[in-house]
Amino acid sequence: MSTINFSAHEINFKIVYYGPGMSGKTTNLKKIYENIPQESKGEMVSLATEDERTLFFDFLPLDLGEVNGFKTRFHLYTVPGQVFYNSSRKLILRGVDGVIFVGDSAPNRLRANAESLRNLRENLNEYNLDLDDLPFVVQINKRDLPDALPLDMIKQVLDPTGKIPFIGAVAAKNEGVLEPLREVSRLVLEKLAQTA
Amino acid sequence: MLEPSLDLYGETFEKVDALFEDLLTKSHGLYVLIVDLKGFVIAHNKALWAPKPPSLDSLATLIASNYSANIAIAQLFGEKGFKEMVQQGDGIGMYVEELTDKTLLVTVFDSSAALGRIKLFTKKTIVEVKAVLAASTDTRPTMNFDDKWQSSTQSLIDGLFGASK
Ligand SMILES: Nc1nc2c(ncn2[C@@H]2O[C@H](COP(=O)(O)OP(=O)(O)OP(=O)(O)O)[C@@H](O)[C@H]2O)c(=O)[nH]1
Ligand SMILES: [Mg+2]
Repeated sequence: MSTINFSAHEINFKIVYYGPGMSGKTTNLKKIYENIPQESKGEMVSLATEDERTLFFDFLPLDLGEVNGFKTRFHLYTVPGQVFYNSSRKLILRGVDGVIFVGDSAPNRLRANAESLRNLRENLNEYNLDLDDLPFVVQINKRDLPDALPLDMIKQVLDPTGKIPFIGAVAAKNEGVLEPLREVSRLVLEKLAQTA
Repeated sequence: MLEPSLDLYGETFEKVDALFEDLLTKSHGLYVLIVDLKGFVIAHNKALWAPKPPSLDSLATLIASNYSANIAIAQLFGEKGFKEMVQQGDGIGMYVEELTDKTLLVTVFDSSAALGRIKLFTKKTIVEVKAVLAASTDTRPTMNFDDKWQSSTQSLIDGLFGASK
C-alpha cells in the first residue's frame, strides 16, 4: 500500500526489482542512477558481498517532482537473487507497491527464472498480497547473449496468459532500463488514483 | 489505497515536534527520527548544535531493514523480537525503539551523551508521543487524485523516465 506523509507533503511508493541470481537487478539500479539527473535522485546504498553479489538489498530513492503541493517519491530496491537468501528477499517485499521482475535470457537460466517467479508469488502471499493485483512488469535482460532464448518462448513459460507487460533489455548497455520503470510507475499511480 | 504510516499532521505534528526538541535538549542527542518499517522518514528533528546529518533516506532504509532483520533473527530462536536495539561506535551511537506497530523512534547521539540518559528520555518521549497521538482530534486531510493530478504525474514520469538511450 502506498503511503502518504501529510506533514512532509510526500506520497511514497516502494518498487522492488526481483528475479534470479545474476539476472541484472543491481545493474538496472546502477544504470538508473546514471540516467537520472542529480536533483531527482538520492544516494544509492548497496549491501553486497565482496564479489558484488547482493547480500541484503540495493536502494535508490527517486524524486518525481511535485503535484498539488505533494512530492511523489519512489524508493527502488533490489533483492538478492541467490536461492539461499530467501529470508532477506521476504523482508524487502514488506510494503511493496510495484514489482519489476528481471529475467535472464540465457537458456540455462530459464528454470531459474520460473522458480524465482514462483518464489515471488509465495513470498507475497506471506504478506497477503497477490501478484495479480500488484503493478507488475517483466524485463527480460541480457538480450545480447549470442544464445539468448527467443522472447516469446520465455514469455510462454513465465506468463502463459500473456497479460503481463514484457520488455527486452540489455541492462549492461543501458538498453531497456527506464522502460520497465516507467511502465510500473504508471501502473502504480493509476492504481492509486483508482483506489484512493 | 493510500494511508499514512502514522497520523501525524496539524497540531499533533507540532506537539510531537516540541517533544522532539525536548528530547534532544534533555538527552543531549544529535538527531531524532520517526521512520516507518517500509523505510520512509515520517518526521525528524536535529539539535541546534548538531552537524548536518547524513542522507535521511539511507538512514531510514537501513534502520528499518536492520530492525526487521533483527526480528527475523529473534524469531529463529522462537522469540518475538529483541527488547532493544543499541548501536555504539567510537563517536556515534544510535538507539531504536518501537513506537507503533508500523513505526520506530530513533535517537542518534555522540560521545558527549550518556547512553543511560538517551534510553531514559527516548522511552519517556515514546510514552508522550503515544499520548499525543491517542488524544489527537485532527481530522485526516484528504487528497484529490483527479484527472488533472493523474495527467500531471504521468507527464512527470515521462519527463524523468522518458528517454532511455
Ligand atoms: N551479457 C550481459 N550481461 C549483463 C547484462 N546485465 C548485467 N549483466 C552482467 O550480469 C552479472 C550480474 O549482474 P547483477 O546486476 O549483479 O545481477 P543481480 O541480479 O543483481 O545478481 P544478485 O545480486 O546475485 O541477485 C554482472 O556481471 C553484469 O555485468 C546484460 O544486459 N547482458
Ligand atoms: Mg544484485
